[in-house]
Amino acid sequence: MTKYRVAVTGLGVAAPLGHSVAELFTNLTAGRSAIQVLPAPLSDVMHARIGAVVEFDGRAHFSTPRLRMLDRVSQLALMAAQRAVADARIDFAAQSPDRCGVFVGTGMAGAATTDEGYRLLYGEQSDRIPPYTVLGAMTNAAAAWVGMEYGITGPNLTYSTACSSSAVALGEAARRVQSGETEVMLAGGAEAPLTPGVLHAWGAMRTLATPDEREPSASCRPFSRNRSGLVLAEGAAFVVLEQWQRAIARGACIHAELSGYGLSTDVVHITRPTPEGQARAMRAALLSARRQADAIDYVNAHGTATLQNDAVETSALKQVFGARVHEVPISSTKSMHGHLLGAAGALEFIIAVASLERGTVPPTMHLDAPDPACDLDYVSEGARTGLSLRAAMSNSFAFGGTNAVLIAEKAD
Amino acid sequence: MSTLETLQEILSCEFDLKPAELSPEAKLAQLGVDSLEVLELMFEIEDRFALKIKDDIPTNLVTIDDVVQYIDSLLAQQSPAHAAAGPGLAPFK
Repeated sequence: MTKYRVAVTGLGVAAPLGHSVAELFTNLTAGRSAIQVLPAPLSDVMHARIGAVVEFDGRAHFSTPRLRMLDRVSQLALMAAQRAVADARIDFAAQSPDRCGVFVGTGMAGAATTDEGYRLLYGEQSDRIPPYTVLGAMTNAAAAWVGMEYGITGPNLTYSTACSSSAVALGEAARRVQSGETEVMLAGGAEAPLTPGVLHAWGAMRTLATPDEREPSASCRPFSRNRSGLVLAEGAAFVVLEQWQRAIARGACIHAELSGYGLSTDVVHITRPTPEGQARAMRAALLSARRQADAIDYVNAHGTATLQNDAVETSALKQVFGARVHEVPISSTKSMHGHLLGAAGALEFIIAVASLERGTVPPTMHLDAPDPACDLDYVSEGARTGLSLRAAMSNSFAFGGTNAVLIAEKAD
Repeated sequence: MSTLETLQEILSCEFDLKPAELSPEAKLAQLGVDSLEVLELMFEIEDRFALKIKDDIPTNLVTIDDVVQYIDSLLAQQSPAHAAAGPGLAPFK
């Protein structure tokens, strides 16, 4: 059924820990964490005083009139997309624009715009709602701006499946390339949830990590017995995907092949994951890559550091990898860059690709209290280098139950 | 500062337009100020001139001079002397 192999030819990030993949990966392998006490007034939000911020001021990149239309989520998306396009050395003006597409994943979309509109309306009792509120807040704004930036007139779609949103965007984009429906896809995720309203809402769920008062950067502890929840982060990550032979023909640098994509859905509860559901998504990804589990040399785990997820994901990995599960290095880089929600899947796929290219597995940081329910090789002692990595799996699971798994293979 | 000068300053600072382009005859649409930006411009005008603009913004604001005339007419209606005479004219918070 598959007609075309999918080459990953461009990688771009605007993320905590890095404005380039090289900077991001260097920080990850050094075990540096971007998690910090948020600036005021965000630090006043009970239960959500910490987060991972992108060092980025839109005023340095966009004009005043344009900034009125761009929520921070779209600003970050445009930056990451621009870097992916530059990395791919592709000129969209020289392509057939309707044979290219833009797929983006986001969970909270234009949260700051929504928040500010409601603050004006309910907080200040003002009737002056900015005229761009709808356009800034709408879920597909980031994808629309990216498409306009490059004149891409093929499909422009936004996927919103909470924390698996951008893994879905990448997977669906890969399918369009595989089928021949499109030739080049600009796909990614963007999230900018660090606003008072969103922080309060997440804090109310009690799923956020308790800040480590002594060392806030160590607050996110995936797979550790003393883990207490996730840490919210902002950022964007984009990839350029294109037909393999086409990439070869234009002399593109191929970072990896996006060879596998699997989906499943948990339907037992709106937030509770199941090992069986997560395992089904991993098996579906392996099947689409036509690989057995023993082909996978590294897993970038979903690893949110919630009590539920990490134990369930461990159990699911055991179901899929069987006796070999203890031999596979597994890490949750969320311990350092936090949880980018809808952008997490794209960012972590890029980290998995960077791992393959460099033969280096980034660590799971702050895992200092082993949990009997999480007994795999989480690379907690620090980055592992000098490895021969052929294929990597990136897991993304979500509230609402949409599990998405991507597989990247080293380009030959 | 005249109404025209203040408006020119708003358009140049908040809408990134070149001062040389902002002659009274210049057309807003040709300057790239679309219908949503006109709404944004009204907010700026309210703040800078301490005016209250109602929802029924005239549709015939084509040139910069049209906007100047509109502002001047509102200033005349909403000056303190007029405000005392009619309801609904208190400065907007």
